[in-house]
Amino acid sequence: MDLTRLAARRTAVLAVEVPGWSRTRCALEQDVRARGWRLAGSPADADLLVVCGRPGARLTAAVDHVWSQLPGPRARAEVTTADDVPAVLDGAAAELADGAAQRRDAAGRPADPEPGTTAAGDDGMGDMDMDGDSGHSGDMDMDDDPGDADGDHASGDGDMDMDDDSGEGGGDDSGDGDMDMDMDMPMPAGIGLAGAGGDDQLPDPDGLDMDVLHVPLGPVLPHWPAGLLLHTTLQGDLVVAARAEVLLPADDAPPDPPVHGTPAGRWDAVATLLVLAGWDDAAVRAARVRDGLLAGGQPPEAERLTRRITRSRLLRWSLRGLGRLPEGDAHDRLRHWLTGTGQRRSTELSAVAELVTGLDLATARLVVASLDLDTADRVTVPVGAGS
Amino acid sequence: MTVTEVSVGWVPVAAALLLLVAAAAASLDGALAARSAGQPLGGGLLAPVAETARLFGQRRRTTVAADLPLQRIGGAGLLTAALLMIAVVPFGRWTVADLTVGVVWFNAMDVLVWAAVWLAGWGPNSAHALVGGYRCLAQALSYELPLMFALTAPAVAAGSLRLGDVVAAQSGLWFVVWMPVAFAVFCVAVAGFSVWGPLSAPTGATTAGGVLVEASGVDRWLLSTGRYALLTAGAAFGATAFLGGGHGPLLPAWLWLLVKTAGLLAALVALRRVLPVIRPEQFAAPAWLVALPLVLLQVLVVSVVVVVQA
Repeated sequence: MDLTRLAARRTAVLAVEVPGWSRTRCALEQDVRARGWRLAGSPADADLLVVCGRPGARLTAAVDHVWSQLPGPRARAEVTTADDVPAVLDGAAAELADGAAQRRDAAGRPADPEPGTTAAGDDGMGDMDMDGDSGHSGDMDMDDDPGDADGDHASGDGDMDMDDDSGEGGGDDSGDGDMDMDMDMPMPAGIGLAGAGGDDQLPDPDGLDMDVLHVPLGPVLPHWPAGLLLHTTLQGDLVVAARAEVLLPADDAPPDPPVHGTPAGRWDAVATLLVLAGWDDAAVRAARVRDGLLAGGQPPEAERLTRRITRSRLLRWSLRGLGRLPEGDAHDRLRHWLTGTGQRRSTELSAVAELVTGLDLATARLVVASLDLDTADRVTVPVGAGS
Repeated sequence: MTVTEVSVGWVPVAAALLLLVAAAAASLDGALAARSAGQPLGGGLLAPVAETARLFGQRRRTTVAADLPLQRIGGAGLLTAALLMIAVVPFGRWTVADLTVGVVWFNAMDVLVWAAVWLAGWGPNSAHALVGGYRCLAQALSYELPLMFALTAPAVAAGSLRLGDVVAAQSGLWFVVWMPVAFAVFCVAVAGFSVWGPLSAPTGATTAGGVLVEASGVDRWLLSTGRYALLTAGAAFGATAFLGGGHGPLLPAWLWLLVKTAGLLAALVALRRVLPVIRPEQFAAPAWLVALPLVLLQVLVVSVVVVVQA
């Protein structure tokens, strides 16, 4: 067996879900599993980029940016219905195995990492962002905000971008001053060194001035609500401020029949939360139950899995008290999904931002997953909703 | 049973053996994963080979303003630490380095992992990788001190820090029988410095892969292989220090060590299937308030037994 064929057995797929196409994404995950492939955790880990649904302009820009981050050999595909998934994956796999095409692709790419798209923002200063880290400078593009398309910047340059202060808590003016100072210093790759964040800086309980970073979470992030873009301000790994919005699908796109609110949707939420809780084994079994339900069956293992998950003390200990809402915490919601009890209530985007503020990045991810947001429900919400 | 130091020429053999056992562990993990996914086990068993083929064919990827030297040191650090760990573990009657301070050497190498994981997180200049690095240090603070005291117990019982002496002291009774707490703490710590299972938060999905998030190609291979190698080295050390090393009936000593290592390694690999990840900030309280006093008590018991016997 030659190496390419051998390598193809472990093809890693980065799935991008557009709001409204969760059924296609579920079908993709099922097919990926059936082929013995796996889902990628980040662009660096991925061989294939598969977009489920028809993204709108900003989401498309984000996906393009992520595409530039795949190391290669790489292939890209878009799929809009669950039925098309096998054919699309076959095509993508063939493209991946085409050595000549891959060499052409590799030859046409710059040797050095590309700077983030936000660097070309309308004030032309994005690159000088003093936070000097991550998303906006193009090294973590799955989080990157393609926002310059409509003048809405990535939060990455929020504290120096004078014409966009929405939701950034007024840290802008001081950012300007810091930037001028930084410009006199040597800056690696044109990025200012991380430092005190001016007015963004919150007093630290330990008296340490932690670096202030503006890190956009989403819209392309595995195990994350489709299209959700959460602008976060991090101090160390602590979210000190957040603002949520949803990037829209293409206007004319007819989406899938909804999965949210169905038993399959509940198991999808269970699978997502369990992956993030680091319990891969139970997560993949939950995804299999979900796929069984979507296929119209009544998976017999659902009951056993429910018992196993609800009995796990370690899981209860790690989810207890997270994302507390009037009707319970993350573990209560997990139990409700498993038993099918409890009403679905929709969480406002502003509430999401409020819930994650004050948590560390990883806990924030667990809380967001525990809310089971239906971003497809929200496609009419104006961009920038929440505060 | 005496342990003799072999010539330097055997070092590559020892390294190959470590990688081979580590690959077997990865195969086992692949097979277990395939079973939960409802897929044929064959594909899972081949997973380490296929993943190696995939990663060796993948382009190496850099990030904007990455600290490349430090990133590379961190990436290679895990595998290096694992190789240095097994250098002191006697393979039956042979050992690569018969250090008089073997136990301390092992401990020093596992502290080296702190630096390696942190640098792998720091290097790429990426928020998620950096947070992965933070989380590694946070949980290391919890497991390291209990681990140090857990390593003290066999050394006190054997009256020596040399691993050959530790094995010889177990000719009658394995240490695990009367040091169960130290052994349990040691196993948890092995998962910790291998960034594995319940203690894999630094590479967890909550941080999109943490220290692994920006790694591709050979860099990712080194980190993943390093984790399995550390798990293997930890299991080999555990088999030596707590499970009687090469002691056992009928079979030659080296085969006994291999069997015991494989058993412990399989248990550690399976741990990942059974347990979710522990959040590092929650781990500190039980580690310092429960595990540390218990393991100190264990050392006290061992010391009293040694004094009474003398």
